Amino acid sequence: MLFRDIIRRDLKISIRRSTDVLTGLIFFLLIALIFPLAAGTEKDLLLKMVGPVMLISALLASMMSIQNIFKPDYINGTLEQMMITTNSFSALIAVKIMMFWMIFSMPLILMACFIVSTYYVEGFSMFTVVLTLILSTLSLVNLSAFAASLTLAIRNPGALISIIVIPLSLPIIIFGSKAIELSIVSMDNSGPLYFLTGMMFFTCSLGPVVTASAIKISID
Amino acid sequence: MNLKSIYKYGSPPHYFKLSLQLEYWLLGSGVILILIGMVGGLFIAPPDYQMGDAFRIIYFHVPSAYLSMSGYACMAVASVIGLVWRSNVAFSIAKTIAPVGAAFTFLALVTGMLWGKPMWGTAWVWDARLTSELILLLIYLAYILLHQSIEDRSKADRSSSLLALVGVINLPIIHYSVVWWNTLHQGSTISKFDSPSIASEMLWPLIFMIFGYTIFFVGVVCRGSAGEVLIREKRSKWVRAFIEGIKS
Repeated sequence: MLFRDIIRRDLKISIRRSTDVLTGLIFFLLIALIFPLAAGTEKDLLLKMVGPVMLISALLASMMSIQNIFKPDYINGTLEQMMITTNSFSALIAVKIMMFWMIFSMPLILMACFIVSTYYVEGFSMFTVVLTLILSTLSLVNLSAFAASLTLAIRNPGALISIIVIPLSLPIIIFGSKAIELSIVSMDNSGPLYFLTGMMFFTCSLGPVVTASAIKISID
Repeated sequence: MNLKSIYKYGSPPHYFKLSLQLEYWLLGSGVILILIGMVGGLFIAPPDYQMGDAFRIIYFHVPSAYLSMSGYACMAVASVIGLVWRSNVAFSIAKTIAPVGAAFTFLALVTGMLWGKPMWGTAWVWDARLTSELILLLIYLAYILLHQSIEDRSKADRSSSLLALVGVINLPIIHYSVVWWNTLHQGSTISKFDSPSIASEMLWPLIFMIFGYTIFFVGVVCRGSAGEVLIREKRSKWVRAFIEGIKS
């Protein structure tokens, strides 16, 4: 079963090369912790900042670590082999993206729980932060994977991935920060959460298809 | 207009000849219309009751804002045609629209800022339309940068076309999520055709400007994409014949 093989392979690679994941996570931690040092540590200010800071650091961290999602497989030819199997290529790409989310974003969200407690977030808001981050990282990972696949043929994509991802990810950043902000002032945040859920389904269903066609373009 | 004629004008030599014939007419009539509109707008139209002479910048602001968006739509349509039919002509058109559209977007932003400084007191406000216009500019720039950094031309064409398509799906979402904030920008004044809220002496120069800008835009794209087609087809017989024709 090809899907199980891909899952097992991605897990194995990420365990053997755990520095890749760790680098991304530490990057996330550093960005999230540098904001209070720069802006001041008043409780009101931090509570106002926590939503945007979480979203922006998650965006930056996933953009940075996504560069390695397809590149090694593209160089050693695995992607090409995946393309010529009888399975749908989009489905295989969807599995790869979900594996990336599990390996990278789930630890990131766990870490975020501890970071937001340094921002004085307590109680039920903590749960909202986790929910918002789950929904928004799913969308962000799909968008970044699309950008990474567009830039596969470029030797040194560098900031190009960010230039592509940031404008496209704007709705997620806006509504994600809004959801956390509203929950902290204990107001109804179901609107932004519904929007984020919609974006999550939208990007998770269409993202792998577009990403797969971008990879096909880069390979042939 | 059947499918055959699409294939005919989609073939590079036909497109090249057609745009060579059209470009000077388009550019010329565009410039004439813009000049008429400028005279009408800057000298004939009366100053506005509230804004004085400052309102006259709409004669540059409205057409460029409108072209920045419809230019993106044209680019997306050309990208679809290019991706489906692998047409070099469509890819050349999409590639040429990108910098032109980015320039008009930039123009719309700058004229808006020049108008906003005396009217709103600040050059920039985080208002929905301004922000989505800025995002539009960024997406244009991402398209141009992506196209330039991929070395293989065919890969560059198809990858950046895909980006243009994703952008066209995402732009309405971005726009409506930015509308979440209170909006300061005034509603458009001439879309209500039965009872326009603008005086007719002020309206006709604007219509001249819009048509002039559009025709000028098409002319620039014609000229640019004809050159692009020529570069792409540089090894073919008809280009050689064309060059020989110029030399002799």
